[in-house]
Amino acid sequence: MSASNHVSLRSMIYAALFGALTAIGAFIVIPLQPVPITLQSLFTCLAGILLGSSVGAMSQIVYVLLGIIGLPVFAGGKAGIGVLLGPTGGYLLGFIAAALVIGQIVRMKRNPGLLWLILALVAGNLAIYLLGITQLILTTHLSVYQALIIGLLPFLPGDIFKLAAAAWLARMLYQYFPFGRQAS
Amino acid sequence: MYNPYQYVPGSSLVHKLDPRTKIITVIAFSLVIMQVKLISLLAAAAFIVLCSQLSRIPAARLLNTLRPVMPFFIFLFIIYIFFTAGTPLISLGPVQITSEGLAMGVLQVGKFILLVLAASVLTISTSATTLTMGLERLLRPINKLGGSSYDIAMMVTLALRFLPTLLEEMNNINEAQLSRNSNLSSLGLKGKIRSIVYLSLPLTLNFLRCCDELADAMEARCYRHGVRTFLYELHLTPMDYYLIIMVIITTVLCLIYL
Repeated sequence: MSASNHVSLRSMIYAALFGALTAIGAFIVIPLQPVPITLQSLFTCLAGILLGSSVGAMSQIVYVLLGIIGLPVFAGGKAGIGVLLGPTGGYLLGFIAAALVIGQIVRMKRNPGLLWLILALVAGNLAIYLLGITQLILTTHLSVYQALIIGLLPFLPGDIFKLAAAAWLARMLYQYFPFGRQAS
Repeated sequence: MYNPYQYVPGSSLVHKLDPRTKIITVIAFSLVIMQVKLISLLAAAAFIVLCSQLSRIPAARLLNTLRPVMPFFIFLFIIYIFFTAGTPLISLGPVQITSEGLAMGVLQVGKFILLVLAASVLTISTSATTLTMGLERLLRPINKLGGSSYDIAMMVTLALRFLPTLLEEMNNINEAQLSRNSNLSSLGLKGKIRSIVYLSLPLTLNFLRCCDELADAMEARCYRHGVRTFLYELHLTPMDYYLIIMVIITTVLCLIYL
């Protein structure tokens, strides 16, 4: 029996919570030039750190499914399976991968320090960009250079803010998620 | 008040179809549309118009779902028409619009718009709960791979229930902070990070308690993993089988010949 076969009820509910929080993150808009910050990927990062890789990834699958069934929870109020299969859908798959990556890296240390958290978050964000830009190139046939201009540059400043906020939040919330630490 | 649901109740043919049929159709449509040329784009558009007419969805409601995606699509269109090499059509100083670029832009952006519209027909004609059930049935094969489609359906249902409460909680926190003179928009760089933290921290912490109570309540009522049954089971009608087979044949033919 694999570990994912017996996810405890509590971690299921926490995954549902973080799926919903990620969705809510799309409605929280903080003004910034040139692209305003929305908070989905902040909660993706938190899910990875606090819930661990498998439950964290599960929470992001829940988030993507919420969008697929028609709730406007993707960035800017988008919804539907069309977004997932369209040019920007890779970022959504990236969220799932990011939670996995962040969870894995954070769990490598028993007591991850701030630097280790930031390293994990940077790796997670790279996973989002990697999948997002790959799908952007595959669906739109843009050149890599063009894809980087529309798929990476506008989001960088906002993501740096979110990364800092996520590390700060994770340090404060870590003590409330004991089960995340003992799960392997 | 913000209404997160796109669903418009109705009794049309499309409304009555099994959610699985509709999900399969949308996925097949998106596979086909990624292959089409400029001329078959019209056929695809005609298909969407037909579906929306059959489902008696108000056109304004359907087109409304395009609003959030438009800024990105317009940006993409501009990239296409200005940065595609080919025979120049119009020259505007240093930049020029090429005919290849224009064709490419119309084709690609048209594809994405149709993709979003197809998905919108699905979500407008099917309630979130029914769609969750449909997805659960389609995900059943993962049960054999060690996952659990029942758990996923349960989590999506829980998240659906959490959403309105979370929104309300967020508004409460926001108003509480506003009444104490916090102004998120006028802060500097460090203040912006702080404002993110001050909003998400109470939101998460307040909800952890709810989650623990919910877990206890469900355990007290003997919720357990494994095969689950539903109050309303989904049934595929002969019509659904017929449509699914048609869709699969059409998709395969399109993928081979387009």
